[in-house]
Parts: sequence; structure tokens; C-alpha cells
Amino acid sequence: MAPTGDPLARRYRRLLCCYPRAYRRERGEELVALLLDTAPPGRTRPRLREAADLLRNGMRCRLGRPASRTVVAWAALAAVVCGLFSAALAARVAWETARPLPGRAETGAIFRTVLPDREPDEVTTPSTFFGYYTQPLTLQALDNLLLGDGGEYQQTASNAWAAGPPPVPAEQTVAVAQRRLREAGWHLDQTAAETFDDCADKLCASIVPVTYTTLDASRGDTLLTVTVNSRSEPEYPYLSIALRRTTPPLVLPAAVGGGLLGALAGWLVLGWASRRTEASHPARAVVKVLFGTTLLLWWLPTLFAVPSVVSHHRAEPHPQWHPLWEWLGQPTFSLFFLVGAVSALLGIALALLPRRDADRVSTLASG
Amino acid sequence: MIRRVAAMREPTFLILTALAGGPRHGYGIVQDVAALSEQRVTLLPGTLYTALDRLTAEGLVEPDREETVDGRRRRYFRLTSEGHAALKAEATRLRQLATAAEARLRAFRPA
Repeated sequence: MAPTGDPLARRYRRLLCCYPRAYRRERGEELVALLLDTAPPGRTRPRLREAADLLRNGMRCRLGRPASRTVVAWAALAAVVCGLFSAALAARVAWETARPLPGRAETGAIFRTVLPDREPDEVTTPSTFFGYYTQPLTLQALDNLLLGDGGEYQQTASNAWAAGPPPVPAEQTVAVAQRRLREAGWHLDQTAAETFDDCADKLCASIVPVTYTTLDASRGDTLLTVTVNSRSEPEYPYLSIALRRTTPPLVLPAAVGGGLLGALAGWLVLGWASRRTEASHPARAVVKVLFGTTLLLWWLPTLFAVPSVVSHHRAEPHPQWHPLWEWLGQPTFSLFFLVGAVSALLGIALALLPRRDADRVSTLASG
Repeated sequence: MIRRVAAMREPTFLILTALAGGPRHGYGIVQDVAALSEQRVTLLPGTLYTALDRLTAEGLVEPDREETVDGRRRRYFRLTSEGHAALKAEATRLRQLATAAEARLRAFRPA
């Protein structure tokens, strides 16, 4: 055995942590000996190229099945999807670092900036940044969320509106709002108008054209959307404002860190299950099917959601991007995710079953 | 049975060629591969052991013996009969390709 006091040998052994424990036990000293044999005299630290080589091959070794050409592709799919879901979860948690949504007083004051000399008819201030029908998500709502209504879990906003027929044309209201917002230090982003046909009454006996003009503005960590409605009926709000928080700065690093950890976990778990079921395992085929099912159920919503969200982003102005979980089809397709998670847990449980030849492993990487 | 190894990669071919000269330990393979390739191919230890694991699982290579020299543990590997056949098949394939290329080159007249 190489002397343990050798700093280079110690550093090589540390790098061998990328390999499974059983492999290290069996081949570790051999690999260290080879690394020391190939190192020129006087070297005290591994070269970057050597470290990258050990990391890459150690992670490959963790998948077992050395002759398989597909196991790496399966592990990559698992790592990416686990990384994406972990990043989304970390992003959601990091959203809690945002300042609370504007309260009633602040929302009312901003409303009066947009529409002077008029008090809002109603002000609502949700207690959560993302809500299910604007309410905090509760266990009672989970069944509806899972069974197709997950799309209603959305970013919430403090709202205020004024009902009744518009006192002046929408263009004039928007022009006044733009001037006053600019004076109050808001940065005006974009204005868009959309006209569509709507029912003129409850029985929809006749159709009227309705124009919605939206104005987006931002100030600090607050996003403002002003909507002016051209309908001149007393029960419809002709002007409403929605105040949201911008994505907190911690969301990006949290998502990146969470994503990397999740990807690593996905690779390691799939690798462990792959090594456990490599040979002579009673549930080898079932575990393979269960993990395949998990990957299918986790990837399908993502593959469906990404083009849909991209198209939605292109169709409408967006002051900021939709949160990552919506790009993964969550929680709209949360049932898929849940069934996939159950399938993965079942696969892990079955992989824990003892092998038929517990005393013998087919490859050194099987431990 | 001769295993059809489609388009054997150069490091694999060189490892099998090194082992065709007799059992070798890791360092011996690294040195032999460098010599065979005229220093073009330098196998890193992680890559070499991944390749040896794969070749062992494919039945082309098998462990031979172990020894400890100067406190360093060494495991020798040797070519199996299947590995011998695979290397022979690949060498034949490469020779046929090289012969075809040389024949064309001899007849080649630059425009």
C-alpha cells in the first residue's frame, strides 16, 4: 500500500470517492498505485485532467453494468429531470424571501396614483405569493389540484378596482395613468390593447366588442398591471390594478444549487438501483419497468408544457417569466408527478430485496 | 464465438493489442499503449479502468494475477480467447480498409 503520508496519494484517494465504496475497496489501491506510477516525481497535487477523468469515470462506475451502452442515457434522463424538479422546488422555497405583497393601504395609494380622485370599490390582498384560486394551498385542495385543476395554482396579486361605466375614453385614462405613474417613479414597460367579442347580456342575446388595454410598469420589487376595460356597464370593473412581486434575487442561485443537487441525487439513486439489480436480482425486470415509468411520467408533462409556455410567452406581454415549475407542467400535471414518484419509491423498495447470490456480485461496481 | 465489435474505438483496440503481448498491469498497459500509438494516445487511469471493466464484462479480457511491488498493488489482465478473436477480426477489418485505401492512393494522380 502506498504510504498514507504521501499528500498526492491522499488527494488521489479523496478523488476516488466518486467511485462506489465496494469498487474503492476492491480496486482503490490499484488505481492509486497506477495514478502514482504515472505521476512525475515531485508532483503533490492531481492534474485537473486527472481529477476530471476520475470524476467522469467514477460517476460512470456508479451506474454499474459496464458493458451497457444505454445505462448512461437513462441516468442522464433521470439526472436532468430530477435536477429540473429540484430546481423548481428550490425556486418556490426561495420565493418566500420576497417582501410580502402590498397591503390594503399601499394598494389603495397606488390605485389613487393611477386613477386620481377615485377610491377603489374593492381591494384584495392575498397572504401568499402563489395560491390556488388566490388562496394558500391546503391539504383539502390537494385532490382538486391533482385531478386536473392544478393550473389554478398561480402567482397572486394585490388587486384594486373601480366598477361602473368609464367616465372618459380608455385612451385618456391610460394616458393619465402613464403620466402619473412616471411622476411617481414607476418604470413603464409596455402597453397593449386587445379587442374581442363578448356577450352583451347574461343570455348572450347580442355581441359587443370589448377592448382591454393593459399597461405594465415596475418599481423596485413591485410589478404593476393596469387594465382598462371599455365595457360601459355598472357591474364590470372599468379599471383594475394588480400588484405582484418581482422574482426575488435568491431564486436563481437557489434554483441552480437545488438543480445541481437534484441532478446528482437522480444519478446516484438510479446508479444504486442499477447496481443492485445488475444480476441475479428477483425484481430486476420490474425495477427497470418502474424506473422507466417514472421517467416517462416525469418527462411527458415537461415535453408538453415547454412548447405551451413558450407559445404563451410569445402571445402575451410578460413583465417576467413564468416560474420554473410551470415549464415542467406543474402542478397542472401533478398527478403524473405523484404516480411517477410512487413508481420510483416502489422501484427503490424492490431494489432493496436481497440478491439471489448475495455472496457474489457480477461486477466490482455492484456494491 | 467471435463477438462482432462494431467500429472498435482506438483506445479499445490499443488496450487489446497491448494485452495480446501477454498479461499486463495497469501501468504496463498505459506504457504499452503510448508506445504502440507513438505517444499519440495517453490513457488516463480512470478511463483505462472503465475500459477494462467493460472489456471484462464483455468477456474480452480477464484478471490474471495480483502482486504488490514497492508497496503498490498491481492487478494483471490478460486477453481471453474471445478477446483474441475480436482483436483479430478488427485487425483484419482495418487491414482490409488500409489495403483498399493504399490501392486507391497508388492509382491516384493529382489533377
